[in-house]
Amino acid sequence: MTDHEEQENPERKSLGGDLVLPIGAFLFTLYYFYTIIDVPRIAQVSAFFVGTILIFLLILLAVRIGREVKAGTADLRLGRLGEPRSFIPKRLALFALTLGFIFFVEWLGFTLTVFAFLSLAMLLLSGGKKKGLAFSIAGILALGGYLLFIVAFNTRFPAGPFEQLMEWLF
Amino acid sequence: MEFDPGLFIGLFARTFTFWWLILPAIFLGLVVGAIPGFSAANTIIILLPMTLAMDPETGLIFMVALYASSRMGAGIPAILVNIPGTAGAAATPLDGYPMTKQGRGQQALAISFVSSVFGGLLATVITLLAMPWLSQLAFYLHSVEMIVIMLFGISLIATIAARDTLKGLIAGFFGLMIGYIGADVVYETPRGTFGFLELYDKVPLIPALVGLFAVSEAFFVIEGESILSKRGREAMQKAGWAGTIEGVRIALSKWWHIIWTSMIGLVIGVVPGAGAAIASFVAYQQSRTFSKTPELYGTGHVEGLIAPESANNGVTSGTLVPLLVIGIPGGATAAIMLVVLQYHGVTMGPDLFMDNPELAYGPFAAMAVTYFMMIFTIAPLARYMSRITVVSTIYMSPIIISFTLVGAFVPRQYMFDMYLALVFGVIGYIARKTGYHTAAILIGVILGPLLETYFLRVLKMSEGDIMVIFSSALGNVMWVALVICLATPYMLQRWRDRKAAA
Repeated sequence: MTDHEEQENPERKSLGGDLVLPIGAFLFTLYYFYTIIDVPRIAQVSAFFVGTILIFLLILLAVRIGREVKAGTADLRLGRLGEPRSFIPKRLALFALTLGFIFFVEWLGFTLTVFAFLSLAMLLLSGGKKKGLAFSIAGILALGGYLLFIVAFNTRFPAGPFEQLMEWLF
Repeated sequence: MEFDPGLFIGLFARTFTFWWLILPAIFLGLVVGAIPGFSAANTIIILLPMTLAMDPETGLIFMVALYASSRMGAGIPAILVNIPGTAGAAATPLDGYPMTKQGRGQQALAISFVSSVFGGLLATVITLLAMPWLSQLAFYLHSVEMIVIMLFGISLIATIAARDTLKGLIAGFFGLMIGYIGADVVYETPRGTFGFLELYDKVPLIPALVGLFAVSEAFFVIEGESILSKRGREAMQKAGWAGTIEGVRIALSKWWHIIWTSMIGLVIGVVPGAGAAIASFVAYQQSRTFSKTPELYGTGHVEGLIAPESANNGVTSGTLVPLLVIGIPGGATAAIMLVVLQYHGVTMGPDLFMDNPELAYGPFAAMAVTYFMMIFTIAPLARYMSRITVVSTIYMSPIIISFTLVGAFVPRQYMFDMYLALVFGVIGYIARKTGYHTAAILIGVILGPLLETYFLRVLKMSEGDIMVIFSSALGNVMWVALVICLATPYMLQRWRDRKAAA
């Protein structure tokens, strides 16, 4: 639908986004049923009980959305899920940074990875402005987190070169 | 287990002499309660070498003080940034967070503190007085009744949390299916694990909590400059002590609400396994049902904040009842207390109240003293804590993501759990954007394993006959109540529509 058409039907709801989670839930339920085919019957019953109710609810939702689409009061575009579009690149970049954070924390340890992630994510979200502030906050929080969680609480966070150096020094 | 005023007065007086231990435990509990992944249970485990070295009484006072204050701490991020510190605070943001967005964060915190303190204090005193009767409650609820309670819980939460009941139920039952992932407790067969060994032991709760609430929220809020509305920011910048004073005044004026919602928490807390999450949602639902202004719930309504906070603190003393009376811990923290007491050779059960009443009633005295001390130590901090909401999302989002993801790693120390938290973050983000409430999914994940365990138990006893779930008189009454509870909103709506059309 073009922007012009959208202006003609301002009250029309976009319900495609509402189907994303139900489709995922439906596929997962089918996969779950597949994994319990060979399980003793007693162990199947409760999963079939809950899974069947879930599928029934999903059918109700599909019928409800189908009726609205048929009546012309809704369409199947993503709607709120894809909006605002201007934030999609930033959000995807933040997601990639988060994935990188999880991947590297095992090798670089808590302090260095938190510092790198916070600096890069803050620069990303601020559009590269206030670099000094971003690095300062990242440094203080990474070091503060190290002192609070690892030194004070003795929490077993992922250890890397920084934590090993500190352990060797003190 | 008879009431002896002299014993109680002496016990309270003695507990006050442990102020030097209770105060640090309060602040530690607040911090660990506020950070997802650092629950009271985890912290007590980390500090086991210290508590095991103490004598049983001192160790117990420390653990109880930490437990009670962590319950209150969990509500702080729930109100300020929409991230409950523990699952027990999952209902708190329903009205707490909208208050913060309106610039009433300080007032919301003060209301939460007063409700928590008085709710917890009252439940503790009632527990002390009604211990013999409360301890009987757990005996009436068997597996069949527990199945209905679980389904009742998920249906209530689904209908409360989401504005659209159908979407709420889908979210809740999807959560239950996720909670079914892992090896079953009887046959040890892996189901729905996608081949990941890390999921054989069920879906861990902390990564689910971190992902559904914290990570999804961090990705959600970057659209705005701050989590506060423009008017909210202006209100926050002008705020002095007035917000705290007004919050305390409002909460005290709702004293009756605090009393009855904390009693809901106490009764649910006595049932082993039910927990603070169910209690807070049930209290919220009951509060809305009996309210003259139910339409205001979810928009920053004071009673919608008081109900879950009073109830989840009412649970705290309730969970200790089955532990001390019949040796069955009502929750994770109570289970760790059991381990510590058993290490010291203390045997739980009715004999403990005859042989060592100071130790048996001691935890409740410690809890009451802790709540009393929290009135003066925590409430004044609301003004300063609420300042966090003016921090720009440019800084807030990355901080939330990095620290909570590492928190997801802490309980099991699997890197897998951080990836799992990210997956839950994506699910939570989609749920937020499309109106499927994240709290309903989380409660489903929590209740899934419990529901399955009770199901397996009754099916084993009945040799696979599913009709066993309708075999108990009390259970059948609960089934009817469940159907009425689900049908009533539709019936009322239809009645209103017809009335409006006429």
